[in-house]
Amino acid sequence: MMDPADRALLQASVRDALEAADGLAAVDAALSELGWLEMLQAEPGDAVDIAFTALGTTNSAATALDDVVVAALGMKPSPDVAVLLPQFRTWTPPGRIDTDRCRALGLGTARAALAREMIVVCSVGLDASAVTVPRASVDARPVRGIDPDAGFHIVRAEHHVAVDTRFDLTAWDMAVAAGRRAVAYQIAGACRTMLLLARAHAVERVQFGRPIAAFQAVRHRLADALVAVEALEATLGVADDDPNSLTAALAKATAGRTARLVAANCQQVLAGIGFTTDHPFHRFLKRTMALEGLFGSADEIAIDLGQRLLTARRVPTLIDL
Amino acid sequence: MEHSGPGWAIADFHDELQTWLDGHRAELAPPYDPPGTLDEQMAQMQRVKSLLFDAGWMRFGWPESVGGLGGSPMLRTELGAALAARDLADPGLFSLIEVLAPTLIDFARPALAAEVVPRLLSGAEMWCQGFSEPGTGSDLASLDCRALPDGDASTAATWVINGQKVWTSLAQYSDRCVLLTRTGSAESRHRGITAFFVDMDTPGITVAPIEMLNGMREFAEVFLDDVVVPADRILGEVDGGWAVAMSILPYERSSCFWQRIAYLYRRLEQVVEVAPDDERSAEIIGNAFVQLHALRARSRATQHRLADGATLGAATSIDKVLVATAEQTTYEAARQVLRGVVEMDDRAVGDAWRTEYLYSRAATIYGGTIEVQRNIIARRLLDLGADE
Repeated sequence: MMDPADRALLQASVRDALEAADGLAAVDAALSELGWLEMLQAEPGDAVDIAFTALGTTNSAATALDDVVVAALGMKPSPDVAVLLPQFRTWTPPGRIDTDRCRALGLGTARAALAREMIVVCSVGLDASAVTVPRASVDARPVRGIDPDAGFHIVRAEHHVAVDTRFDLTAWDMAVAAGRRAVAYQIAGACRTMLLLARAHAVERVQFGRPIAAFQAVRHRLADALVAVEALEATLGVADDDPNSLTAALAKATAGRTARLVAANCQQVLAGIGFTTDHPFHRFLKRTMALEGLFGSADEIAIDLGQRLLTARRVPTLIDL
Repeated sequence: MEHSGPGWAIADFHDELQTWLDGHRAELAPPYDPPGTLDEQMAQMQRVKSLLFDAGWMRFGWPESVGGLGGSPMLRTELGAALAARDLADPGLFSLIEVLAPTLIDFARPALAAEVVPRLLSGAEMWCQGFSEPGTGSDLASLDCRALPDGDASTAATWVINGQKVWTSLAQYSDRCVLLTRTGSAESRHRGITAFFVDMDTPGITVAPIEMLNGMREFAEVFLDDVVVPADRILGEVDGGWAVAMSILPYERSSCFWQRIAYLYRRLEQVVEVAPDDERSAEIIGNAFVQLHALRARSRATQHRLADGATLGAATSIDKVLVATAEQTTYEAARQVLRGVVEMDDRAVGDAWRTEYLYSRAATIYGGTIEVQRNIIARRLLDLGADE
């Protein structure tokens, strides 16, 4: 666990470095220079918190998510190794094995098009298999969609399975959990910035002889947004202290609900100016929309959690004093 | 019971308490079928406190000067949550101790606190808070109930109080009242308020219970006509009552909330125990679970900040918004999943859900409306400047 003062300093340096970096390759390089992989190995909780919060607050795109998922699978992360993420709004392994062929459809970060090899997790009965697929067998197409700058790709992979790494699905669950935590941190960072932008506008914009921040209707929208962000950050703290499938799912679901509320309320306060591309708000709106679907959005996760509770006929409290 | 005094770790306390509660199940169980009348609930709560006091559990987390056994205040929170989770005491009523006892400990003469706080903790007495008035709700500083000294304010032996309070929870069951009065000029607002600790059997006090829309008469109007109170019953300083009122907030926002959260988890669990196994129910339950978890995560952080000595101010308005909205979500989930139970079921289970569902509609109103919380968040946390 990092010393709080050191942590704050590192958080600020990472944020500054990402602000200064122009473009995805530069952001990846900046993270690398800051010692991202080393920190991911030494202090994974802090590393993910600091890096992904900074990615969110600065609206930077990177390929660090691959490293998080690869490491969580128990494999060695490297800039040359990409991982196939589940399809949008799902979290099942993206691959299948038929006899000796692996076929997969999923999402990738920008690394999908660049890496020497890609790890494709395939479900095999109650187990999973991690198949390493060479670049030549990966068809990665950039997604324009709502946020072309995010660097997402739709990825198809097909390869003859010679050697694979077998593990039980728990390892995949842990990888999903790690991915969910990272994305939730990124969403939290983005929400903080959306709130900052809306607040700044509210105190500066004068109408009817006063800043619009003086009007209760505006104040209450922003207050509700702050409540949502603080609630999300609390769930991230829990997911960090007690990293498991359930706490990660809850953090990710909270991130989705928070993103929707914060984006809507901040957009409303920003009114006309926030609706243009001159103002940075739209980038955060679009980024959070894209991020929400990774590893399942709040809706699917809530249904899944509800089904688990119904099966167990219990509601676990999870958090003790 | 084994205990290691002030250093007792929460987890160990939790485990020992659970064991004790399990072992005394029959003794502690309510002698009536839930939900019970308010009279029955009150008698049950005081009986449970008495048993817990005699066994020592009620005394942990309180100072020795008032009959406590010391230890972290979180031990009190842990106890309240355990009782709420087992439906042994209504958390809203039980946790009133958390806002009443500290007031006496912090602001009463030590001898008075030493005399009365044990009576509250042991269930021998119940107390109420006389704060709101017909003309004073959200704007507490506007209160009007007047206290006049018999002579000079600094030397008077007695004061005479006239006025009216409303929304006084459990006034009709209470032996004493923490009463806020106007001692400054009519325009003095928060600067001219004095808190008194008044015996409810003092001549001149009349209590008229009010029926809530769920049929319960949990709070009351309290009329004060020439009520004579000794000066040694002043809490804090003359004209220093605002500080007394404000001191209550951190306790309410921490311990009381944690206990309520435990109760809400139990209620959701009761829905889960009998809900139909379909996707619609799963979605409703899942969303409620997500919301309760975020609330619990935030409240835990708040408990620890308080225990570490931080001053909790406007930040607890976030906790208040979260607990109020989560309570409403939980009961709405019950209503939606247990189709017809709230609206059409005349069995005891229907009565119980109906009573509590309707009460949950007030969660965004009592203890500071959600509008006031948003105003505090906007002004103090978001620094949005003056409002119009």
